[in-house]
Amino acid sequence: MSIRYIRKVELSDPVMVACWPGIGNIGLIAVDMLRRSLRAEELAYIEPWDFYYPNRVIIRNGELKEMGFPGSEFFFAHTPTCDIIFFTGDEQPAEGGKVYAEGGKAYAMANMVLDVAEKYRCRRIYTSGAAVAPIHHTSRSRVWAVPNMVGLLGEVKSYDNTVLMSEIEGRGGQGNITGLNGLLLGVARRRGVEAVCFMGEIPVYLQGFPFAYPKGSRSVLEVLTAALGISINMDEINHLAEENEKELTSLYERLPAEIRMQLDRLRQATVATQGSGEVITEEDKKKILEDIDKFFKRGSDG
Amino acid sequence: MCASKASDYRITGKYEMESPALIVGWIDDVSKIGERTLDYLIAGTGCQPCAEVLPEGFFPMAGVSVEDDVAQFPECMFYGSSQHNLLVFKSSIPRSDWFRFLTAVLNVAEKFGVREVFTMGAMVSAAAHTMPRVLVGVVNDSEMKKSLEPYNVMTAADFQTPSGQKPAFSSYLSWVARQRYVDVVNLWVPVPFYLVPVADPRASKRLIYFFNDRYKLGLDFTSIDEEISIQNRKISELYRASPEIEAFVRRLETGGELETEQSEKLVQEVSEYLKK
Repeated sequence: MSIRYIRKVELSDPVMVACWPGIGNIGLIAVDMLRRSLRAEELAYIEPWDFYYPNRVIIRNGELKEMGFPGSEFFFAHTPTCDIIFFTGDEQPAEGGKVYAEGGKAYAMANMVLDVAEKYRCRRIYTSGAAVAPIHHTSRSRVWAVPNMVGLLGEVKSYDNTVLMSEIEGRGGQGNITGLNGLLLGVARRRGVEAVCFMGEIPVYLQGFPFAYPKGSRSVLEVLTAALGISINMDEINHLAEENEKELTSLYERLPAEIRMQLDRLRQATVATQGSGEVITEEDKKKILEDIDKFFKRGSDG
Repeated sequence: MCASKASDYRITGKYEMESPALIVGWIDDVSKIGERTLDYLIAGTGCQPCAEVLPEGFFPMAGVSVEDDVAQFPECMFYGSSQHNLLVFKSSIPRSDWFRFLTAVLNVAEKFGVREVFTMGAMVSAAAHTMPRVLVGVVNDSEMKKSLEPYNVMTAADFQTPSGQKPAFSSYLSWVARQRYVDVVNLWVPVPFYLVPVADPRASKRLIYFFNDRYKLGLDFTSIDEEISIQNRKISELYRASPEIEAFVRRLETGGELETEQSEKLVQEVSEYLKK
């Protein structure tokens, strides 16, 4: 297992923004868009063979020419306010057919990412992911912010449209962040490095679908750029989010009336919970998910 | 790249071999082609167990699978024959740490001074079982192609992994070996789609024939020829019982295609009949 550096760079007081794929690819889309907007350049990569099975082989004229693996790459960018190291992983190094990383490989990869952060003396790590929430797809996604140190709570709460776990109805400040986007926070804490995870909300009824949810990514991007003190052109993410909402609305209109009625309750709930009280229970959520599941199973049966 | 640990494998037998060839087959691959062919080779050459890659860390030790009423356990065993200067590796495909596993395999190969490696695999084919089996070879060094010329192996394939699929484990072995300058040929033999759930002795015979020819093994083909005869006879019986099945196969023989439902019926009826 090793990290291969492509070039030597001098970075001044950098931060790191790291992300792996997850639900709706909310974090990865946000981080990737930020990286591209800042024209970040390649810095290093983690050798893949101890973490991943290959994903591509190329054979030409009877000879094996190339074997491809999921990438785990570092990039860097200079900005007027800070230098940034980006890390993006094409896949979580999961074992046994699981989607999310856990166990020895996950821990090893988290430590390798932090080795790079420490080599360049990054003062903070940001990760990003999705927060499955009882919201409607027409609502603005909030961003759940989870720092790894108490001292960061005030700062992360100060960003527009963020909420802490303790402010999420029924959670009492408890929860889990699955996979490496969460594990990195913990390993950073163990190594004494500040880290924050920003999670964009995705409607509970979309969590099981293999769709991107750029609306959640847009919210993350807004918070992330605020935290970094930079601004980028948001046209691309706005366009993606609008197109995605149109597609979802079109799908929504084809749902049977009884399911739509259930989901419409989420529309009300979003307004209420983002304001004050509780209008949708765990029981309601379960019923909605069951109905949606039945609908799509029926659809796939014929 | 990280090497496997010495504790990942165990060498149990000593053989007088001079730069032997290594033949690799995977248990439970498509149509069990590797397993069946290796069983035949091991029996025919008198190869004996001589080393193994240890399963810990490569397979989930969370119980056992049961197949045909019998509990199974991963097997990663090398067999050797001094007489034929041959090493054989018959193995389950690991569930994790693939690179470390392949490194262990190549470390064992290195200990025995292996000069070249052949792997075996099946390609699912839309052709009929009566069609001749061509052998396709994919090398990890173009120099190897010349040595395959006398054996009627096709070595001009182009392939790229389709989206959503993963490369075969044999290809991965070939790539890891290339980093260590070990020559590998991945041999692929077509197996008609309707024989995939059962067995295709013709495909195995094509592979055995190749190894017999290349390494002058002097193998007796009687039992595999008998398997082919029995399969032919059973399929003929099925034709008599179901003219529709015969029509499907005849269409494939002339390069025709079947509808999805027809293909499914062919698979189901052939595999049910051959398993009787």
